Amino acid sequence: MKKLIALFVIHFLLFNQIVLAQAPTLSKITVSGYISDASTGERMIGAAVYFKEIEKAVSCNAYGFYSMSVAPGTYTIVFSYVGFVTNEAKYTLTKNQSINIELKPRVIETQEVIVSAQKQERNIQSTEMSKIEVGIDQIKALPALMGEVDVLKAIQLLPGVKSAGEGNSGFYVRGGGPDQNLILLDEAVVYNASHLFGFFSVFNSDAIKNVSLTKGGMPAQYGGRLSSVLDISMKDGNNKEVHGEGGIGYIASRFTLEGPIIKDKASFIVSGRRTFIDLLLREPFVPANSRIAGNSYYFFDLNGKINYTISNKDRLYLSCYLGKDVFNFKSPETGFQVKIPWGNATAAFRWNHLFNEKLFVNNSLIFTNYNFEFGAAQQQFDFKIFSGIRDYSLKSDFNWYPTVLHNVKFGMNYIYHRFTPTNVSARSGDVQFDLGGVKRYYAHDLAVYINDDWEIDDQWKVSGGLRFSMFEHVGPFTRYIQDPLNTNNIIDSVSYKTGDKVKMYAKVEPRFNVRYQINNRSSIKASFTQNYQYIHLASFGSVSLPTDVWVPSTDKVQPQFSTQYALGYFKNLKDNTFETSVEAYYKTMENLIEYREGATPDQDVNNNADNNFVFGKGDSYGAEFFIKKNQGKLTGWVGYTLSYTNRQFAEINYGKEFPAKYDRRHDCSIVLNYQKSKKWTFGAVWVYSTGDALTLPSQKYFASTTPPVSVGANGEINLNNNFNVLSLYQARNSFRQKAYHRLDISATYHGKKHKHYEGSWVFSIYNVYSRKNPYFIYFNVDGNSVDGNLSVQAKQVSLFGLIPSVTYNFKF
Amino acid sequence: MKQFLYLIVIAIFFSSCEENISLDLPREDPRVVVDGYVETGLPPYVLLSRSSSYFDPINPGALNSFAESGAFVTINDGVKTVQLIELDTVVNGISLKGFYAALDSVTKLPTMFGEEGRTYQLTIITKDNQQLSSTAKLQPHIALDSTWFKVQENLDSLGLAWAHLTDPDTIGNYYRWMAKRITKDDLFLAPLGSAFEDKFINGQSFDFNALRGQIPNSTKPDDIKEEAGLFKKGDTIIVKFCAVDRGTFEFWRDAETQISNNGSPFAVPSNIKSNITGGLGVFATYSPAYDTIIAQ
Repeated sequence: MKKLIALFVIHFLLFNQIVLAQAPTLSKITVSGYISDASTGERMIGAAVYFKEIEKAVSCNAYGFYSMSVAPGTYTIVFSYVGFVTNEAKYTLTKNQSINIELKPRVIETQEVIVSAQKQERNIQSTEMSKIEVGIDQIKALPALMGEVDVLKAIQLLPGVKSAGEGNSGFYVRGGGPDQNLILLDEAVVYNASHLFGFFSVFNSDAIKNVSLTKGGMPAQYGGRLSSVLDISMKDGNNKEVHGEGGIGYIASRFTLEGPIIKDKASFIVSGRRTFIDLLLREPFVPANSRIAGNSYYFFDLNGKINYTISNKDRLYLSCYLGKDVFNFKSPETGFQVKIPWGNATAAFRWNHLFNEKLFVNNSLIFTNYNFEFGAAQQQFDFKIFSGIRDYSLKSDFNWYPTVLHNVKFGMNYIYHRFTPTNVSARSGDVQFDLGGVKRYYAHDLAVYINDDWEIDDQWKVSGGLRFSMFEHVGPFTRYIQDPLNTNNIIDSVSYKTGDKVKMYAKVEPRFNVRYQINNRSSIKASFTQNYQYIHLASFGSVSLPTDVWVPSTDKVQPQFSTQYALGYFKNLKDNTFETSVEAYYKTMENLIEYREGATPDQDVNNNADNNFVFGKGDSYGAEFFIKKNQGKLTGWVGYTLSYTNRQFAEINYGKEFPAKYDRRHDCSIVLNYQKSKKWTFGAVWVYSTGDALTLPSQKYFASTTPPVSVGANGEINLNNNFNVLSLYQARNSFRQKAYHRLDISATYHGKKHKHYEGSWVFSIYNVYSRKNPYFIYFNVDGNSVDGNLSVQAKQVSLFGLIPSVTYNFKF
Repeated sequence: MKQFLYLIVIAIFFSSCEENISLDLPREDPRVVVDGYVETGLPPYVLLSRSSSYFDPINPGALNSFAESGAFVTINDGVKTVQLIELDTVVNGISLKGFYAALDSVTKLPTMFGEEGRTYQLTIITKDNQQLSSTAKLQPHIALDSTWFKVQENLDSLGLAWAHLTDPDTIGNYYRWMAKRITKDDLFLAPLGSAFEDKFINGQSFDFNALRGQIPNSTKPDDIKEEAGLFKKGDTIIVKFCAVDRGTFEFWRDAETQISNNGSPFAVPSNIKSNITGGLGVFATYSPAYDTIIAQ
């Protein structure tokens, strides 16, 4: 803890140094300000500011702020953003100046050839690689499963990102596991980003402004995960006038209301989404005595945000999210009842402050919580499992623009974690079973970082950063010590008091990106990054489920560690109409965790979950090809990934290397959008990927369920048929499922625009040619061995055939 | 839990479909499988077979090709060692090899009986000279305090078997539940979840219930219709509640998990823990206590 305090001190000393260093330099003046949407007042993330005469550009940060230092003079400054009318004007700059710009949305006219006014060369010029931003409008235009627009499924269409399975919103980035993605909603970590066991993501598209995914070359301000950062920003709320929008779909319906609290100063947005099938599964639609009565399922999401602009220098934001799934099941035969609620809650309070034209800070106070509960009851029995994670965090992120050539980011992030891995309670009548008390883990998680994006000359630009991270597992904690010969037996335990140090890790994570610009249209980039991950997701299943538990690094569990090298070639064609890129990467991962083979959740009871883990390593490598068309009536992209990813654990698969479940050799996505007219827009998505790696039994054998011998009336011995067919598995993930491919299409009809109202219909078809994609394989055993007619048949279950859907959306 | 999630998924997405597929699995050498029993008061016996390729069908002619005949099998109970003799058994009109019992080769009278508290050592040498061995202890029996039948609410005459158990104070007791309906079942049968341990219930006294077990892949009407898994008013149920040792428990805990997970997309396929050195299967000990329930 002392070290933590020392780090805080260092951090603030560093910060003071920089503020003191802000003595004005006469030779340069600084232009800074905010860029926002003229129609809604929403600040624009990533909008570009281009100084024509000196051919220099900067882009806005996550709060729409930009800053640029130039010599005094007259400049043509171009402010631009995709889909907005470019603002270009001459400015005579003699002293530091604040220029706030509002851009007007471009109204697309039929027949009009859309000329791109902006020179979007950011992908060529920046040092960033392996990063992709997807606009929410682009996501909304894609065909969606059952009409539910889904941010996570849209990013799965990008190269290097793989879907966790049919209809699943889980994703894997460059061979990393599902726990290696940092998913942020307005800076708050979302630990479980899906509803309905993965089928829908928790992000309600109506409340979202921007989505960006970093899959490599992670800058120093991000940390805590090995594979990727998915940064999702919520809308701020319209600060000009009150508007609403909503939609009625198959699965869920949505409604959003936003508007000013004080015009141009403060605004709000509230957005809700809920499924309604459960409302149809009760009276009067379903009689109370029906077999299905008592069964129900629903999920909902509630997003809310308010912001207040105190002055040009200070702005406050408060954003909240609450989402929940609730499943109820009742069996009339056995009286067995189950209730499974789970969900996330997050809240982030943020304060943007501008010290001066060159120094911007955002301070955040963040709360995030994820809980899972499984309650089962049958007559006098009660059984409950619960798990979860809760974080309180404090964050300061500074953006400092000392000269036109440097963009410095530094800051700190502190998190206090409370982990609740699987806890079980059970009772029969008045008898409470001994399942141990509630076990929790507590940890301090601190990081300080500094990163400089430095334009050395027109060709070379580097971004170098260091992240110093510390993680301390503290008491209260009980370490159970297992009998090495029989891991079922606990022979001793060691207790730690509240606040006592159990184990501490301190690590340095270097981050380095370099760009060499060949010309205005092409560049080469390379990156080297090392990341540590102190929290781990332990999964009993082969897919990620809400039952998975988060556990910290402890004296037993070392932090996960990765090193990634990436090299890329970027080229824009036809006046930036097409962006293309090729990236190759190689990544190694250490200290990965898995449950021991055959481990079951009950082994966590009266024990530490990490006593049942085994540790291993992994590597992944591949190449990603990407062509994107940004402009014109037809937009979209084609992405292809060739990749390999393997794992090796001493205690799994006899210590031999095996392919990860999501090792898919080929992965291809084609995404198209066609704006035919003002009334009609069409979309199509085609995906192809190599089948999942799968473990299948290689042999079968028999064992009698119960002693098979009976003694007959005359004392004769009878051997009875009571055989179970059991499976023997050999090499892990050595079998491949059939390849997965699917075509989805959509058509959107925009109704007539009324003064205060507009509506649109979205028709979509999922899996147009009804491909029977494998979801899982099971084995059907017929007959029995003693009669001598036993046969085993493999059956493949496919989840979704052709699924049409209609959604009605409205705006006012 | 996982099967349960899988059910939910299937129930919600009724658009799912399934089809038969053929899989090309690698061929591996068959391994020797032990299905061995020591039960209080009975002569020990062992069924020996070989594992086979997963999709090889078993037809009447092929059945004996899986049986492991001609092996030298002995059991030591701490006092003496006896050789188990291979019996000629006719099952459903088919002569079956690979069934060995502790009987005298001439008189066919038992040469050894299971006795509580003894440790049994099994040694097997197959025809092709593979050596297998295992050790298992026959535990002292633990009787249930009481047993009864209770009709499920909503169901007229069907219900579960109930019992009250007082677990001994020392940790490390393992149990397996089986039951048999007089005249309806030939054997004592175990439902899924029949194997349990006292890890969470050590020293406690509590009620529990059990479904009715069935022969695997049974097509009997009462195993596929509403009576499946339930007892019925009028049944006479004999409960055979067995104390087992850890090896038997672990094998059946894993086997029941594997059987119920079959293909579930949420489960990790895993092998069954065996107490046999040099082969697959289990050398099981059962120390039963019997109760009778008249279901009414």
